[in-house]
Amino acid sequence: MKKIEAIIQPFKLEEVKEALKGIGIDGMTVTEVRGHGRQKGHREIYRGQEYQVDLLPKVKIEMVVPEARADEVVRAVLASAHTGKIGDGKIFVLEVAEAIRIRNQDRGEAAL
Amino acid sequence: MAKPPYETEREQLRRRFLSDGDAAGALAERSRQAERIVREAWSEHLAPAFPSGLCLAAVGGFGRRELFPHSDVDILLVSAQPLESSGALAAFVGSLWDQGLRASHAVRTPAECCRLDPQRPESGVSLLDRRYLAGDPELYARLEGALARWLRAERLELARSLCRGARARHARFGNAVHQLEPDVKESPGGLRDLHLARWLERLEEAPAREPGSPDDPAPAWSLLSRLRCFLHYRAGRDDNRLSFEAQEELLEQDFAPWRDAGELMRDYYRSAREAWRRALGRLEAWEGRGSPLWIQFRAWRARVSNAEFSAARALVWVKAPAQFERDPEALWRLFEFTGRHGLPLARETERRVEALLPGLRTAWSRGEPLWPPLARILALPRASQALRAMHQTGVLKALLPEWGEADCLPIRDYHHRYTVDEHTLRSLEALEELPCAADPLRRRLAGLLEEAGDPTALRLALLFHDLGKARALEEHTPHSVKMAAAALGRIQAPGEVIEHVGRLIERHLDLSRLMHTRDPEDPATARRLAERGETLERLRELTLLTYADSSAVHPGGLSAWRGEQLWRLYLAGVRQLTRELETERLPRLAAHPPPLAAFLEGLPARYLRTHSEKAAEADLRLCRRALERGVAVELEPRESYWSVRLAAHDRPGLAAALAGALTAFGLNILRAEAYSNRQGMALESFAFEDPHRALELNPSEVERLKALLERAALGRTDVARLLANRPPPGRPSRRARVEPAVSFDSEASPAATLIEIVAEDRPGLLYELAQTLTAAGCNLEVLLADTRGHRALDVFYVTAEGRKLTPARQAALREKLLAACRPPTAP
Repeated sequence: MKKIEAIIQPFKLEEVKEALKGIGIDGMTVTEVRGHGRQKGHREIYRGQEYQVDLLPKVKIEMVVPEARADEVVRAVLASAHTGKIGDGKIFVLEVAEAIRIRNQDRGEAAL
Repeated sequence: MAKPPYETEREQLRRRFLSDGDAAGALAERSRQAERIVREAWSEHLAPAFPSGLCLAAVGGFGRRELFPHSDVDILLVSAQPLESSGALAAFVGSLWDQGLRASHAVRTPAECCRLDPQRPESGVSLLDRRYLAGDPELYARLEGALARWLRAERLELARSLCRGARARHARFGNAVHQLEPDVKESPGGLRDLHLARWLERLEEAPAREPGSPDDPAPAWSLLSRLRCFLHYRAGRDDNRLSFEAQEELLEQDFAPWRDAGELMRDYYRSAREAWRRALGRLEAWEGRGSPLWIQFRAWRARVSNAEFSAARALVWVKAPAQFERDPEALWRLFEFTGRHGLPLARETERRVEALLPGLRTAWSRGEPLWPPLARILALPRASQALRAMHQTGVLKALLPEWGEADCLPIRDYHHRYTVDEHTLRSLEALEELPCAADPLRRRLAGLLEEAGDPTALRLALLFHDLGKARALEEHTPHSVKMAAAALGRIQAPGEVIEHVGRLIERHLDLSRLMHTRDPEDPATARRLAERGETLERLRELTLLTYADSSAVHPGGLSAWRGEQLWRLYLAGVRQLTRELETERLPRLAAHPPPLAAFLEGLPARYLRTHSEKAAEADLRLCRRALERGVAVELEPRESYWSVRLAAHDRPGLAAALAGALTAFGLNILRAEAYSNRQGMALESFAFEDPHRALELNPSEVERLKALLERAALGRTDVARLLANRPPPGRPSRRARVEPAVSFDSEASPAATLIEIVAEDRPGLLYELAQTLTAAGCNLEVLLADTRGHRALDVFYVTAEGRKLTPARQAALREKLLAACRPPTAP
């Protein structure tokens, strides 16, 4: 099993969810996060006041999928979250040792 | 292994309830079953060991014979002497659990029963619902006597403890009856509130019977107990949350009379509202007791009280109820009092208003102009409190029948926590709470609210924004617009207000949708925002509308993360709309008649967004007169300010001269706009206050001002000399002071430099700024000035010798503009 973590632009969330749904991935955890990579923060001026925006709003999507499907999921996220601009985000793929469904104690891929 | 007999009986009871839905029967039967088991266990284990000196009582729900399927069975063992741990007692309790009964027992002496434990006030409360089951009858009689004496002596303390607990419980649920997934026991308006009303009633010296208890079942108790019974059977435990899933399952039951979940929940809210009102009535009555006379007198004479209404215990009371019959305006004054001080009506006051409803409906159906009193309420600082009071008493529905369609209307949406009416009122409250916010984001939004000025249209847009959900859940916005227009038209609201409100409702979801689907940094998003927002003023209102709407979805509806997204979007829209002031000029529009098209050509696109065709034609006539005479002026009074429009051949220093002339006349400029068309005609408009009412009281002054403005426009009067004769203005309090800020942007437009100035407003400021720019050789291509409170927000697009300002010129100008922003020191 693989865990896929995708940090994406907030306005791409719906598109990414649709793309994942299109390949049969319904289960995911979505978190509102803040951060920056190379994009860094920036300064904004409004009414003469300067605001430093260090950490930009992003969305983190986490899902655990069978190993055989990990590439397909990554491709779906890549295609749907891409704009080509700095700030598009990152995808991380991690090994998962075990998954357990709390309701009935199913384990492994049966718990996904 | 065979189930214990009690389990079998319980299963039969469950089946019977799920087929007939008879909660009263199910609760009474379960109480009988439990009673039989408890008595049997008593006879077997405790009676032989304690032939006297011990008795058994049912308390709490068991005492009321109101034992829900998975509620604990509360029993009290009363012992004449403190009871040491006993094998018989352990066997008694063990046997109850073995039978499948979740027994919760306490052992106390009569003296211990007559003691209020501040840490566990519920133990004292549970004794209010007690009945004898078994054991020493003399001991029980002693307990009854002692309890009667104790309750007489301590009833005030016990009632206070109950009131405190109830208020804390209500607060845990946000004091909201209208929740989409309520807890039918603990939520405001749940079964606990019916019990509370009953307990507080029993603590009265001479209790008056009210319906609403199992002894006298009212519709509220009947429905709430049926729902709770079902929820227990559904979950197999003491679960009281009427979730969306539970609502769906309930509809499938044979006994369910509801066609859909909406009908079920509306039934629930009606019952919950009845329970809530009954509990509030009792709470308010008890909370007012026991304080020394002088405290009550002081409350009566509280500073906010007036001759008609008093504010006591943070509630509004009517001093002379007969007044409502003598003077119909008194009702409006009551709501104005509420909206001014932000205090809810006492239940007693609500009852008096409710009694007026039949008469009000008849009077209002005659088509009276009801807009003026509503407008007065909407302009008050705590208008939401007045609207809530009007909603709770049924007055809002009588005034705006369309509002009635949202009454208790549930939304089937996992994001929403409240019904449409509750969500709407909470959105109005969210907006009003902004000025008190401490976090940086809300402080910025509070600044927008201050800049937005008159909140009437914004509040009306919030009041109507979701009403269309009563007619179509998905595409509700067009319905909301129609309902707002119909309701406001009926009460004879001004046409421009109806149009303004309609525009805001029509676009109330725009920013939310853009936040989810568009990159705020993308120029296309900014263009889209400008297209939909149309003007800076409307974008500001839409941002506030989005904030209030999102905040009222559920308590964390607008997280800091989402708020930041909203702010970024607003900034992108502001930048684009400010840029467009200069860059987006109207072409010759074929859709208009040639003279109008020629007049419009070259004006900023904003002009057509802020002017109707009728207004544009009036400006065209003004320009024609100016072509003949060199200048033309129109001056007219508005509701709370004066408006002047002036057309003249454009020339350097024109805007400064006009601003100076108005200031020299003793008038305060609130807003100003200045731009010119392709033909070189300048169109200048100012909104100003006349603090001394000179124009209103002396009609000849109107002509004198017009003449002065004409001379100023033609350069035939020395404005600087006139201004020198004016006394220096006073400064606002320290708290209202604004630090001046000047910013330049040469990227905003291909041909001009944008200058934005924020400063503390004072008479003559706009003149000083415009004069500083003119004196520095700048030409004002566009001017947009606005004043809110003590803050002036001025935007200029300027050129010097037909080009943008160089960095060196900007640096020099910055210092001069900052100096102009600072108030002159008194001589």
